[in-house]
Amino acid sequence: MSSHCPRLIWAFLGWGALALVGSLSGCVEAVPQDAIEAVENIDRDLMELRAAELSPTDYTQFARQWMALKARVQADEDLIRWPWEPNDLEVALRRLQEEGSRTVARLTKERESHRRSAEDKIARVEDRFRMMTLQVSAIDSRFVLGQKPDEIELLMKQAHAFYEEGRYDRSLDASDRAAQNLATEAAVLSSELGRYADRDRISRWQQMAKGTITWSRIHRTSAIVINKADRVLTLYRNGQKVLSYPVRLGFNGIREKQYHGDGATPEGRYRISSKGGQEQTQFYRALVLDYPNEDDRRRYQLWRKTGQIPASRAIGEQIEIHGVESELMPQTLGCVMLDNPQMALLYDRVSKGTPVTIVGALHEQNSLALTLAALNDQREET
Amino acid sequence: MDKRFMMLPPMCSLLMFEACAKPSTEQIEAAEKTIKAGQANDASPYIPDEYAKIKGTLSALKEGVTPQDGKLALFRDYGEVWQLAVTAKSEAERLKTEGTEKKEETKASALQAQQVAQEVVPATLALVAKAPIGRDRATLESIKADGEALQSSLNQVRMAIDTADYPTAQTKAKAIHEKSQAVSREIETPLPRSERENPLRRRRNKVDLLYV
Repeated sequence: MSSHCPRLIWAFLGWGALALVGSLSGCVEAVPQDAIEAVENIDRDLMELRAAELSPTDYTQFARQWMALKARVQADEDLIRWPWEPNDLEVALRRLQEEGSRTVARLTKERESHRRSAEDKIARVEDRFRMMTLQVSAIDSRFVLGQKPDEIELLMKQAHAFYEEGRYDRSLDASDRAAQNLATEAAVLSSELGRYADRDRISRWQQMAKGTITWSRIHRTSAIVINKADRVLTLYRNGQKVLSYPVRLGFNGIREKQYHGDGATPEGRYRISSKGGQEQTQFYRALVLDYPNEDDRRRYQLWRKTGQIPASRAIGEQIEIHGVESELMPQTLGCVMLDNPQMALLYDRVSKGTPVTIVGALHEQNSLALTLAALNDQREET
Repeated sequence: MDKRFMMLPPMCSLLMFEACAKPSTEQIEAAEKTIKAGQANDASPYIPDEYAKIKGTLSALKEGVTPQDGKLALFRDYGEVWQLAVTAKSEAERLKTEGTEKKEETKASALQAQQVAQEVVPATLALVAKAPIGRDRATLESIKADGEALQSSLNQVRMAIDTADYPTAQTKAKAIHEKSQAVSREIETPLPRSERENPLRRRRNKVDLLYV
């Protein structure tokens, strides 16, 4: 009996120890580390996605729940529980993990769509800008637009910079402003050059040209008609077309001349006031026009009075039809320029007093009207 | 033993309970105040996620106070809330400093970009002022227009800085810098000899053209 007793005690102790080890190994931490790590990862993803900026409501909601759970995690950090005990904290963390994952997935999609929108917008605006630059350059109207093209270029650079930084909303904003500037450009061109598409105006120009040709027929002499839109000079004799040459105009030639230095070529009825031979002009040969005439002076005074031109600007003068040696001079400061061989031929066929009529356009389908129509179509498309 | 001494332990316990039974409103208010100060200082947009989190902590704090308020004073325990409030307050202060630092960093970068642009643009304008030999009038006028546009764009950078829109100021200044360099390159690129005009004729042309 005495030998059995210690054995029994040892057996009890052994079983007790086993039960204790079993129970302890069955206990689990109240705070599941894997769930915390998962939520932390989601938080990191949301921060990388700039969720706080892209979708502040979603992120605020997530952060609020996450911080509340974090407080609970801190409080329950040292607790252990039985595996069969319900764990509210774990349930809440898993729920937040699920919700967070959904938000990450949704925001990833939204961000990608944002990125695509920004990319598309940049491409669209740049395409339109490039096309407009070409069209504007084709009708020599770069100077009508002033600083607008530069502003657009800077805005597009900004749009690119924001895009590279992943700030797609700001990139879109910059592209939008560039697009607005493009629309303004088109509007400025329509307003400044709209007369080239104006039937009444074209009809008046046609009448002016017709009058000059009729004068040539009646007086059986020469007359010149210069068409700015087509950049063509035509010489008539006895009302008949004798020759037609391409010309180059002022660097702002398609505009109506307003003041000295504006680079515009005047429109109106003029006469050759003097002829300059090789020794009298810098330009091989020159036909000086009687610009400014009475009409020009009257218009100039009106523009000054209405503030359309600065008071300090004087009226221009010395408008000529002249030659040029260098092909590198595509434009003048307002004169009408021909290649020297053609100038020589023209010079010999006209005299002092020959009428010279300069008009904007002679037909409705002129290059400027067509470009303006194309620009308007593009504006509607954008 | 004196009866008064016998009352001492329960009194001390009561005091202890009373201390723990007080909500940490001061700490919460202090944290809230610091957050508001950070927002007033425009620091929050620079670390929006951090600010969202601290606000989350604050609302968790307030939610933690409510159940304790519902209990009998003797059983209230604001210990955890108090601990959290202390952490929130120090966190709010850290955010205020960090947000302000980030804002200052962005501002410094914007100012630096502005300074670079301010130095480059006048240099470009000086180049524009020198009529480059061999350029036609239209190119010259186009370059001049570019120069004027750069000058007026610098004002836009200044305006963006004045309104604390530093990211816009920075990107604009960088764009101006790039454009300025492009304009300078255009001016400085020598034309091929065959395309250069005769400087003598150019001078003569200039005299004639001045009247227009």
